Amino acid sequence: MMSCLEAKKPSLCHREPLTAEKVRTTLAVLKGVLTSCYGPFGRLKQLHNGVGGSVCTTSQSAVLLRNLSVTHPVLKVLIASVQNHVSCFSDCGLFTAILCCNLIENVQKTNLATATAIKLNKRLLNFCTNYLRSESCGCRIPVDFSSTQILLCLVRSVLTSKPACMLTRKEVDHISTLILRAFLFTIPESTKNPIILGKSIIISLKGPRVTDSTVLPGVLIEIPEIQLMKTLPVRKSSALKVALFSTSLSGDFSDPGEGSVVVSYRVSLENAVLDQLINLGRQLVSDHVDLVLCQKVMHPSLKRFLRTHHIIAIDRVGVTPIEPLSKATGAQPIGSLGPVSPSSYGSVKDWHSAQFGCKHFFHLIPNEAPVCTLLLCNRNDTVADELKLACQTALHVLQLTVKEPWVLLGGGCTETHLAACIRHTTHKEPGNILQGEGCTQAELQLIAEAFCSALESLAGSLEHDGGEILTDMKHGHFWSMQD
Amino acid sequence: MAVVGSVKTALQVAEVLEAIVSRCVGPEGRQVLCTKPTGEVLLSRDGGRLLEALHLDHPIARIIVACVSSHLKKTGDGAKTFVIFLCHLLRGLRAITEKEKDSLISENIQTFERCWKNCCQWKFICQALLTFQTQILDGIMDQYLSRHFLSIFSSSAKERTLCRSSLELLLEAYFCGRVGRNNHKFISQLMCNFFFKSTISDSRLEVFELVDDCFVELNVSVTGLPVSDSRIIDGLVLHRDFSVYCPADGDMRVAIVRETIQPLFSTSGSEFVLNSEAQFQTSQIWIMERTKSIMKHLRSQNVRLLLSSVKQPDLVIYYARLNGISVVDCLSSEEISLIQRIISLSPFVLPQASLQCEISNPALVKFCKPLILRSKRYVHLGLMSTCTFAPHCIILCGPVQGLIEQHENALHGAFKMLRQLFKDFDLNYVKKSNDQNDTLSPHVKNNDELEKNQYLQAHSNLVVSDAELETYIPCSTPKLLPTDTVQTDETWRCLPPENKKINDDYELLIESNSSSNPITENTRIETYCENLQVTNIAGKESTLPMKYKSLDTHISQSYCSSSVPAGCVLPVGGSFEILLHYYLLNYAKKCQQLQEIMVSKLIASALLGIPKILYKPKKGNHNFPQIYLRALHALQTNQPIISCQAGLESVIGKYHLLTSVLQCLTKILTVDLIINIKRQPQKSCDQDSEDELQH
Repeated sequence: MMSCLEAKKPSLCHREPLTAEKVRTTLAVLKGVLTSCYGPFGRLKQLHNGVGGSVCTTSQSAVLLRNLSVTHPVLKVLIASVQNHVSCFSDCGLFTAILCCNLIENVQKTNLATATAIKLNKRLLNFCTNYLRSESCGCRIPVDFSSTQILLCLVRSVLTSKPACMLTRKEVDHISTLILRAFLFTIPESTKNPIILGKSIIISLKGPRVTDSTVLPGVLIEIPEIQLMKTLPVRKSSALKVALFSTSLSGDFSDPGEGSVVVSYRVSLENAVLDQLINLGRQLVSDHVDLVLCQKVMHPSLKRFLRTHHIIAIDRVGVTPIEPLSKATGAQPIGSLGPVSPSSYGSVKDWHSAQFGCKHFFHLIPNEAPVCTLLLCNRNDTVADELKLACQTALHVLQLTVKEPWVLLGGGCTETHLAACIRHTTHKEPGNILQGEGCTQAELQLIAEAFCSALESLAGSLEHDGGEILTDMKHGHFWSMQD
Repeated sequence: MAVVGSVKTALQVAEVLEAIVSRCVGPEGRQVLCTKPTGEVLLSRDGGRLLEALHLDHPIARIIVACVSSHLKKTGDGAKTFVIFLCHLLRGLRAITEKEKDSLISENIQTFERCWKNCCQWKFICQALLTFQTQILDGIMDQYLSRHFLSIFSSSAKERTLCRSSLELLLEAYFCGRVGRNNHKFISQLMCNFFFKSTISDSRLEVFELVDDCFVELNVSVTGLPVSDSRIIDGLVLHRDFSVYCPADGDMRVAIVRETIQPLFSTSGSEFVLNSEAQFQTSQIWIMERTKSIMKHLRSQNVRLLLSSVKQPDLVIYYARLNGISVVDCLSSEEISLIQRIISLSPFVLPQASLQCEISNPALVKFCKPLILRSKRYVHLGLMSTCTFAPHCIILCGPVQGLIEQHENALHGAFKMLRQLFKDFDLNYVKKSNDQNDTLSPHVKNNDELEKNQYLQAHSNLVVSDAELETYIPCSTPKLLPTDTVQTDETWRCLPPENKKINDDYELLIESNSSSNPITENTRIETYCENLQVTNIAGKESTLPMKYKSLDTHISQSYCSSSVPAGCVLPVGGSFEILLHYYLLNYAKKCQQLQEIMVSKLIASALLGIPKILYKPKKGNHNFPQIYLRALHALQTNQPIISCQAGLESVIGKYHLLTSVLQCLTKILTVDLIINIKRQPQKSCDQDSEDELQH
């Protein structure tokens, strides 16, 4: 850890930070950066550190905001809250950020007391959420899980709004189908309560074409080619018995305690431990185990012993695949070198060795466990990262849709519709929104105007190519026209 | 380098602090955003947090902030008011000195001499302030202010029941000054819910202590969700994930361990000698078998959950999973001690030889399950509480960590405030004989006639109990100003209850008799005791919402004692300040000593500073002069004061604030020179060096 010492400086205090000219301009710059990224036709941003190293091309808020360094505390709060939103819901980071900037700008222009502005904005927000949840809402559609149409649309709109993935229309279709398939794999067959979704692991590969991406049931473990050649025994037709070790099988001496251990001359602990390991191996052989997976390192002698008895031994799996492996095989991670209880073994249906691009994988196919692997191929590094993030977002969005099975219209329609709705209500029945808050109608009109124009300019920022924007103020619809 | 310490510099420093703090006072106050060099952003309206966040150079500023912090640690409220009040006191002092300077000091006196002269003056003022705080303030609270007190307990039945609506009013007013305008109602509702859910019986003080001590463990913060998603959940949330989770239903027991269950080769200070390979293998097998049997034993005792403060090795985890025992390890010692406090379970000690022993304490767990909050996993535990606290947790949501921290601090402060509020507080003061004809209180006049009758009664009773009194003579020497209430209790048990009234005349009468009757000397002392006892009872009885306390506590030239009962509140919006202001001015009118008059007037005018700021943004009928005049008129004509704001605040909190500020002021005033030194003052001779600096 590096520590940084800074001389104590007396504190500086500024009043009314938002009204300062400097803050306004920085806010406007930030808004400009974010707005230009927004939507399927958004412009890409290239991030680099000026002294070489990798360059990252992106238009996603998660990457962009993580790498932007802002100094002003007001912007810091804004960016931190958008980042927290993204880490909760994955999607809609740019939407949140731009709406925030628009609102700050518009409310500043009204010159109302902040207390009133806060109160009324909160009222309007409540109105919006209530309206979007209500049956009468005109811009939401129920999700029909019996057909794939809406779900595919949803995934596709998540993918297309990330232009830095550089996908053609055909590729988008292919990837969206894969994502939906991967999602459906994670839904368990049994319907006992509560339903726990399975796992889908995303592996991104550089080299092959995007259309070579695929979804495979089960778990892929990357292993070097030489090891793969060595581990090929005769294949069995029936289910394979699996042992999963979370403890080290390398024969290292576990924690000796706080005191000291004195070893007499000519006593070899290595041999003693190795004896133990071979004993363990014997038990595995007599229990007819076919596959041994170890999170940590396995002693070469034990490996050789297992191989001579036609058992596949794979070590250094790492800690992250342990949970999906345990889920896929039903095995319990073993933490002891002593006798293994038979209940800790699991089983898989089959295994394959597979090669994708230049990498070799050991592919475990489970019986029916809801675990799958999404292999994403892409031509270069930065696009591959962008695509992986987009796929994670899409999967998360699908999971959230299960919780609340409703979708909203895209393309700026929801925003325009909401704005029209707020305008209508504030004109016709302002009492519904005011509800005895002690604010006047004129104040409400001002704030509602600021709120609505923030929404509408958000919808308008979907257009980047100088096309014309048409908004139906009465029915709340939105078109973008290009020559 | 030495700088002359003076009121002027102190005022300058305090004014800077006031300028920062006064922006966030009251319901209309605004948020302050602080940044640290590390990039952290703090969003706050909490005066204490703000002041502590500042890097302050000036020593007086540091003294002030230290005073505020120690005040907050005790009461959890009033940091902003502290600074404002202090500032006004200093302003008042400067005004006094400037007046005197014009008239007294000729211009050719050397600066340092003037300084010394000033210093002597400050010393007198300090003493006057301290006497005021220790001897007069309590009296005014007890005699005049107490009749305006309201209580948050409803008085319908004999027992005190807490009124939810008044608690809501109290909390709403508290959070109004602490958290953002759009959230204060929600947060106060949250707090109210937590309060009523987590207290089982009436012994709330115990719960407040527990919550105050373990507040960090009782809340979970979740960033990225709107504030309105915050909620109270039943049970405890541990800030860790399960190492092993085995779902289980029905009766479960829990065991707490503070060491690894797997035996180790050697313990500290011992040596393990390995002579052969076989020995090593057998010991390893023994360790394995031992671990296995301990886990089996735990399971046979129906232990389904193991809470550990240390990391358990793979072996233990493995056997726990085989036996269906869930394990949570690496818990902080605070979390462990909180759980122990709730279910009063002692840690499981590994048996040395046999495993036959039962686990002594059958602590039951209602449920234990994983809780996922924003993709982070926690352990959710339902404990059967054995104390008065029903375990509940607060889940605080917010878009950024800074905002959540603000809410967390406000909630913690609110618990501190309630902890003070739910305690009785004793008042001790000197009562002087010249207050005899107290024109302020209409009660005294009405009581005059009664008093005469009762005097007779009391006197006759005294005579009757003379014999009994004699037996106590050896115990009560006049030096001990009697506080020994047990003794008095026994002595006066024989007296009828009407004996509560003993007035000033009675005292005088005994004095005149003293030559003839040798016993009366002692009786007088006993009378104090009697009175102490009586007033205490009177204090505790009074829980009516509008309390008119009987003014029967007068004894000339003697120490009085009374108490502010638990749950006393006043309406918000400066009622406490205006009331105290009014009664202090009245007190000053009757007072003969110049110093007391000066101090009372000084404090009285400084008190008004707070309502002045509170009503600053209000217009029309609600501006400060209007409110002030209306309140004065109401007081003079004995009408109830009508407050234009709903909301209550704790009396005892205000009282503590006042005394803390006065102490801080004397601390500042006693300094005459500020000397810059290169090193830290030596710790060993802390007391001496402070004295050296001060004189």
